[in-house]
Amino acid sequence: MKWWAFIIASEMRKILAFRFDFWVTFLGQSFIQIIISISLWKSIFESRESQEMMGYSLESIVLYYLIVPVGSKMLTGENIGFLSREIYDGSFNRYLLYPISFFQYKTLTYLTYSCFYGLQLIFIFLSYHILSGGIQSEQLINLLAGFIFFFMASVTYSQLALGIELISLWADNIWSLMVMTRFLCFFFGGAYIPVDFFPQFMKDILVFTPFPYLINLPIKVTMGSARMEDLFSGTVALLVWTILFHLGARLLWKKGQYHYSGVGI
Amino acid sequence: MIKINSLTKNYTTYIKEPGLKGSFKSLFIRRKKVKEALKSVSLEISQGEIVGLIGANGAGKTTLIKILAGIVFPSSGEVSVMGFNPWERNNQYRRCMSLIMGQKAQVWWDLPALDTFLLLKEIYEIDEKLYKENLEFLSETLMVKDQLKTQVRKLSLGERMKIELMASLLHRPKVIFLDEPTIGLDISAQKAVREFIKSYQSEFKPITILTSHYMEDIKELCPRIVIMKEGGFVYDGPLSNIQKMMGDEKCLTVTTKDSTFKLTIPRLELAAKTSEIFQNHDVIDLNIHDPSIENIIESIMKYGLHST
Repeated sequence: MKWWAFIIASEMRKILAFRFDFWVTFLGQSFIQIIISISLWKSIFESRESQEMMGYSLESIVLYYLIVPVGSKMLTGENIGFLSREIYDGSFNRYLLYPISFFQYKTLTYLTYSCFYGLQLIFIFLSYHILSGGIQSEQLINLLAGFIFFFMASVTYSQLALGIELISLWADNIWSLMVMTRFLCFFFGGAYIPVDFFPQFMKDILVFTPFPYLINLPIKVTMGSARMEDLFSGTVALLVWTILFHLGARLLWKKGQYHYSGVGI
Repeated sequence: MIKINSLTKNYTTYIKEPGLKGSFKSLFIRRKKVKEALKSVSLEISQGEIVGLIGANGAGKTTLIKILAGIVFPSSGEVSVMGFNPWERNNQYRRCMSLIMGQKAQVWWDLPALDTFLLLKEIYEIDEKLYKENLEFLSETLMVKDQLKTQVRKLSLGERMKIELMASLLHRPKVIFLDEPTIGLDISAQKAVREFIKSYQSEFKPITILTSHYMEDIKELCPRIVIMKEGGFVYDGPLSNIQKMMGDEKCLTVTTKDSTFKLTIPRLELAAKTSEIFQNHDVIDLNIHDPSIENIIESIMKYGLHST
């Protein structure tokens, strides 16, 4: 097995090392999300006495908000502090000692977590459709395409997160900066409100940012409501932003490594 | 071979006044402080040598080791380890080098040691046969065969240190940096680690630099020592020379009715000083002996080589 496959396998072993946490995350959270999403939106639609909201039916908005939490987790992978914490406590040393690129190593560990949450996404999606009366082959294709888009988005986000976390080579604590970045990505990405609900001028601006391609587009692909041109422009945008974020992270590392002292707890 | 020439490292830190006022002030104004961790040091170490690096806390031992391992960049100077510049982080260099830090875990806590070893086998591209051979040799010598399938975080401190040693030596490095490998270990674990390092050194002849605050480690393992004080080298030479250098001095341990005190005095003044002590104190016991290596090194670390 190649070293990168071993890194993925090792990270998977870490996720599976705590079986209580694993089952709570996988099953507990999934069912809680399904129940909350259905009951919340059902009552909102009942109170409005309307069949549709900004082009979303009850079924589609429930599905949207069902995908959001797990899709966001897939996007943020190993989550906040995955690198800055190690720089802070000095355990980052190990990546400088190993004869491999730490960029590759950290991106791989990050994406392993994304894939784990991707499995949860598949589980929730299938559970929801099975509970609501069965699944069709078209929905399975949408699920596969959605998984691929979420994965591409998490590659983009991992490079953005890498760059942000490398700022901790200058400033010891960058927690607020990371939280702010995540909030911006979630808000403008459509995690809190679907991008379709935003005013038109805002949507026109957001097209030139990475945000709508990180959450909104993968959700729409999973739901089967994305157009062919959205898939194409989304793929190009994610690719361009990944390259830009990666180059930014490399530049930060090139400058910041002189500040690393390897001290810590 | 390791060659270090005029190596300097300065760290910049920021000073914050104590108290709430100081905290508010530091939001707007920060005072820089440059600490010279290494002051133009030079050193040469040959293949197969094991060198003990000793000094008080903050003397610059760990900084030197981190530079040699390629973790931190120096401020100036030249370093060549096996012909490599460490901070270029050449993969070929990283494959033949290892750093073990007693105070910092490098293996993954949530995984059993064997999982980490398998990952390291792939990262270091260790041949299957060599991996099995090394695993067998290391686990047997360190007596941790039964602990390899247990999560590392559930092992005792001594067992964890042994696992760290195994993880760092699996790829059979030609250069080893050991930064306080016996810190926090009980006497028998310290002894086991020392015995292991000794047998590994005689079997594979790597270049080894060892830092330790335990003189037993140094006495048992290092024929050559380098004493560091405030970022500089104050002594570089054989450990055996240290006692010879101080041959003109004697130690006196005097016990009186009220207290016990120790003195180091020139051999020629011994008779005069002893009679002076008997005249001025109510002496119960007086013991005259040669200064111990520990005392000599402590004295060199405190006052330097010439003023001891």
